[in-house]
Amino acid sequence: MSTEAAAGTPKSEGWEPNILAFCCNWCSYAGADLAGVSRFQYPPTVKVLRVMCSSRVEPAFILKALKDGADGVLVAGCHIGDCHYIDGNKNAEVRINNTKKALEKLGFDKRLRLEWISASEGLRFSEVIRNFTEEIKKLGQNPVKKPQINADERRLDTSDISVNMRSIANVQGSEVK
Amino acid sequence: MSNVQSCYQCGKCTSICPMRRVSKTSPRSSIYNANIYGFETQDIWTCLTCGLCPQECPQQVDFLSFIREERQGKQPLAIAHLGVFTELAELSSRLNGNIAEKSGDSKIGFFPGCVDSLDLFLHDVKTNFGEITTSSVRLLDKLGMKPQVLNMKCCGHDVLWQGKKDVFNGLKEYNKKYIQESGIDTLVTSCAECYRTFSKDYDLGIKVIHTSQLWDKLGLKINQDVTYHDPCRLGRHMGEYDAPRKALTANGVTLKEMEHSKEKALCCGVSNFMNCNEQTKALRIARMNEAEATGAKTLITTCSKCLAHFNCLKNEKDAVKKYDFDVVDLSVFLARQLEAGK
Repeated sequence: MSTEAAAGTPKSEGWEPNILAFCCNWCSYAGADLAGVSRFQYPPTVKVLRVMCSSRVEPAFILKALKDGADGVLVAGCHIGDCHYIDGNKNAEVRINNTKKALEKLGFDKRLRLEWISASEGLRFSEVIRNFTEEIKKLGQNPVKKPQINADERRLDTSDISVNMRSIANVQGSEVK
Repeated sequence: MSNVQSCYQCGKCTSICPMRRVSKTSPRSSIYNANIYGFETQDIWTCLTCGLCPQECPQQVDFLSFIREERQGKQPLAIAHLGVFTELAELSSRLNGNIAEKSGDSKIGFFPGCVDSLDLFLHDVKTNFGEITTSSVRLLDKLGMKPQVLNMKCCGHDVLWQGKKDVFNGLKEYNKKYIQESGIDTLVTSCAECYRTFSKDYDLGIKVIHTSQLWDKLGLKINQDVTYHDPCRLGRHMGEYDAPRKALTANGVTLKEMEHSKEKALCCGVSNFMNCNEQTKALRIARMNEAEATGAKTLITTCSKCLAHFNCLKNEKDAVKKYDFDVVDLSVFLARQLEAGK
C-alpha cells in the first residue's frame, strides 16, 4: 500500500465501513441468504448487490464504486469448477486480479476482495464479511474527495442507467437514434 | 469560444466526415442545431474528433473546439469499455496523490502514458503495451539520453474530450506541480495523445517532444517494407507528418504509403475511448484494407489507441477476414530491429 491512502485517512469516531458486495446469483447470494436464515451474525456494513455471475462485474463498476466513496468492494462467486456458466468465475479471477494491479498504484488494492462462497457456506459468508470489515476498519475511510454536486449533476447521475442501456443496445448493433 | 458563428452551412464537413460513411452523423447539422435552435444532438457524441473537417472548411471553423465546448458537462452517449479508463482517471483525480520521490535528476523526463492500464484492462487484445515504454527507454539509451521516468497521473486527454473539464483540471493541476518539482526542461512522451495534451492543453513552458521526433538519429540498417498510419493526434492535431516517416526512412526502411495518408489519413475509429461500435469498426476495416493493399508486412503507428484497436480487429475470434500483417508501435518496431542487430 502506498503512503497516499494512509495519509489521507480522516479519523472519525464511531465510523462504520461501507462495503459493496457483488454476489453471484447461484452461489454467493444463496450463501448470504443461508447466513440470514441460519442467523449467523455479521456486521451490518455490507450492501449486497446480486449479479448473475461474478464475471458480470466489470472493472468499471468497481472503480465507480470506489470513486463514489465505497470503503471496500467484495466480489463473491462460486468456487472454481462450480460455476453455473462453466468458467465464468475463472474469467472473473483474471479481471479482478488485473483491477487489483491497477488499484495498487493508487493504494486501493486492499479495498478490493475476491472470494469464493458456495450456496451451503452461510457461515463462511458471515466470516468473510466480518474479516473484511475488520480490515477496512484498519485501513480507515476511503480518502476520495467528494466533488460538490449541484442539482444539475444529480439529474445527470440518475440518467446513468438509461445511458448504459443505450450503450448495450449499441453493442448489439441496433442503431441508436 | 470557437468561431462557429462563421459557418455558412456549405456541408463540406459532412461530405468529408468519416462517420458519415457509416452513419447519419452530420457536422453541419450539429452546428446548425446547436447554433440556431440550441438543440443538443447525438452527433456531438458520435464525432470522432479526428480533425478532418476543419481542414476542408472554407470558413476555417474550429470544429474541434466547438465539439469540446458542446460536450462539456453533459453525459456522454456511450463510452467504450463501460468507461473503465474514465473511471480510473476520475478516481485518481479525486485522490490527493503523493508527489513521488525523483527517479534521478536528469533534465529529460519520459512519460509513458497509460500503457499500464491498457495492458490490464485490454488484456484480450493480445498486445504488449508495456513494450512501448521499455522500447522507448532502450532507444533513448542508444541515443545517449538518460531520462527520468515520470510517475504522473493520467494526462487527462480522454476526460477532456469526453466533456469532463473539472476532472481534467484536477489531473492537470497535479501533473503541472509534478513536472515543476521534477525540474525537467524537456518532456518526452511515446503517446500521440499525451503529446497533443501536454503541448496544447497544458501551458507547461517546457519543450514537449514525441519519441518519433528523435528516432531518425538511430542509424539502423533495416531492409523492410512497412506502411505507416497517421494517428489523428500526432498528424492533424499537431501537424507532425514528417518526423515518423523520417524516423523510418533514415533507418533504411522502405515506406509504402496507403491510399489515404498524411492530411487525408483515415481514422482508426476510436480517438478517446468513445464510440467503439459497429460503425467505427467499419472505419477500422476500411483502414486495415488500405494497409493490406500496400503489400507491406508491417503497419506502423505512433498512438497506443490506434495500436489497440487495429490489433483488436486483427485478433478477433470469429473474424470474417484475416489480416496477415503485424501492427506495431514505431518505437517497438525499431527496438526489435535493434535487438536483432541491424
